[in-house]
Amino acid sequence: MAPTDDDLPPADPAESLRLIERERAETELSITPDPRGFLWPWGFAWVLGFGVYFLRYGPGDRVFVDLPDWLPLILLLALFLAAGIFTGWFGARISRSISGPSTRQGAMYGITWSVAYTGMAVVLSTTNGLLSDAHANMLWAGAMVAVTGVMHMAGGAIWNDRGLFALGIWTSVVNVVGIFAGFGWHALILAVLGGGGMLLAGTLQWLRLRRLASRGLR
Amino acid sequence: MSQAELPDLDPVIHAQARLRVVSSLSTLREADSITFPRLQEILKMTAGNLSVHLRKLEDAGYVEVTKTHHGRTPATLVRLTRRGRLAFEDYTAALRALLNPPQEES
Repeated sequence: MAPTDDDLPPADPAESLRLIERERAETELSITPDPRGFLWPWGFAWVLGFGVYFLRYGPGDRVFVDLPDWLPLILLLALFLAAGIFTGWFGARISRSISGPSTRQGAMYGITWSVAYTGMAVVLSTTNGLLSDAHANMLWAGAMVAVTGVMHMAGGAIWNDRGLFALGIWTSVVNVVGIFAGFGWHALILAVLGGGGMLLAGTLQWLRLRRLASRGLR
Repeated sequence: MSQAELPDLDPVIHAQARLRVVSSLSTLREADSITFPRLQEILKMTAGNLSVHLRKLEDAGYVEVTKTHHGRTPATLVRLTRRGRLAFEDYTAALRALLNPPQEES
């Protein structure tokens, strides 16, 4: 194509429509944050955090790896905190180039996450010393996952995102199934199905975004 | 339908550069704005060129350019106005009508 003065109209209507499609796809791809940036940190935190939980507090009081009894919960909280900080930073990057109702929405959603976790932690810490180790661990892990599932579902409702909503339902169901399966199994189920589910969801959403973009950019 | 009844193409948008600007801005959600450097990066236009076209779009009431501050650094925000969005929708509808003329029978 010969270089054209960009003040001239496109050659014909079909060319105009192609130009519109290409520009929209390009912008969409450029302003949509990589879904992996939101889901992978949590996926890794869950696989690692609940994996260690399972190794220390296995089914039927089995100890696969003899770690200090305080380590799994501290590690899990640290991993959740790290994932929360990373995703908060990742989300805030968007507001450096876009501003308006959608960044406000994103900020409110981010604040809701931290308020929900803080409230939960304050309530649960009142049970310190009252429960057996295994029971206390399952209570903390179960509550954290319940809050996470609900937040994903709320995110799905806010952004009309079926994928995120489905992930929330999946997380909530897996949590309840794990609780019924009992101590030890809960952690294994959360590591594999919960954490694995997030890694998979992030990958699928990323592939979908790339497919949509390449269709428009062709 | 005779040729004369075909919709006219909006001359403000019907220029490659401005069509690209408006198409790009139309991707944002209503009332959201984008920073000037980011828009420039997406469109791969020079700052001067983009400014010229934005001014023409602003004169037509299709975009709104706001100067503001992000913390202490000044920022220029660009967004499509409601009027601009309508003009863009009319423009794409007109293109489609040109490509597939409506049937005689309604």
